[in-house]
Amino acid sequence: MTAEQGRVYCPVCLARFRFVDGWMEGDEVVCPICGERLTLRAEGGSWVGDRVAPMTEAEIRDRSENFAKLRGYRFSDVKEDVIEGLVGKQRRFGDFYCPCRMLHTPEYQCPCKPTRGGDVERNGRCHCGFFWK
Amino acid sequence: MERKVKVYALSTCPYCKRTKRFLDEHKVPYEHTDVDMLDDDEAEVVLVEIEKITGRRSFPVVLIGSEVIVGHDEERLRKALGL
Repeated sequence: MTAEQGRVYCPVCLARFRFVDGWMEGDEVVCPICGERLTLRAEGGSWVGDRVAPMTEAEIRDRSENFAKLRGYRFSDVKEDVIEGLVGKQRRFGDFYCPCRMLHTPEYQCPCKPTRGGDVERNGRCHCGFFWK
Repeated sequence: MERKVKVYALSTCPYCKRTKRFLDEHKVPYEHTDVDMLDDDEAEVVLVEIEKITGRRSFPVVLIGSEVIVGHDEERLRKALGL
């Protein structure tokens, strides 16, 4: 198996994560980088994860809960307002982009690239105040 | 004399909502623009203006006379508004 075959592409964080021995096509897994729930699919000799419940409120709730668990982050009292904002972004701009920014490119899909890259460790919170250390 | 208060916000941003709620609760009249609800061209013009004033594109932005407050900051709002 090549390195490429041993990894799974996540369409949310646009990164590849390690394929775990024993996983099979159709299995539901959680992206260890962004927390998205994905269904495994083999494509052209490599693995792709398909979003389980794309563009639903359940999707962004699950993703953010999973991400917080993976990183050991907590939420604050603005959590429900941020979720509402994320749902508003999805309705108006097509996906769950940071509700406190005017940036609607894939890297600003929640959890955004700066957050995945350590903003919470550096600043104690993410830009939108959704994830806290 | 009452100073003109202007708020630049995003309709999806929780802290922008808190700032507007704070001003409403204190019966402070203000103009506001939800930048994400503007057409793309209009939004870009406003974003450039915000960047010129604040040096970044963060929300909310509250202009009170010559005072510029970026982010939801009740202490600074109180001080600037004399509350």
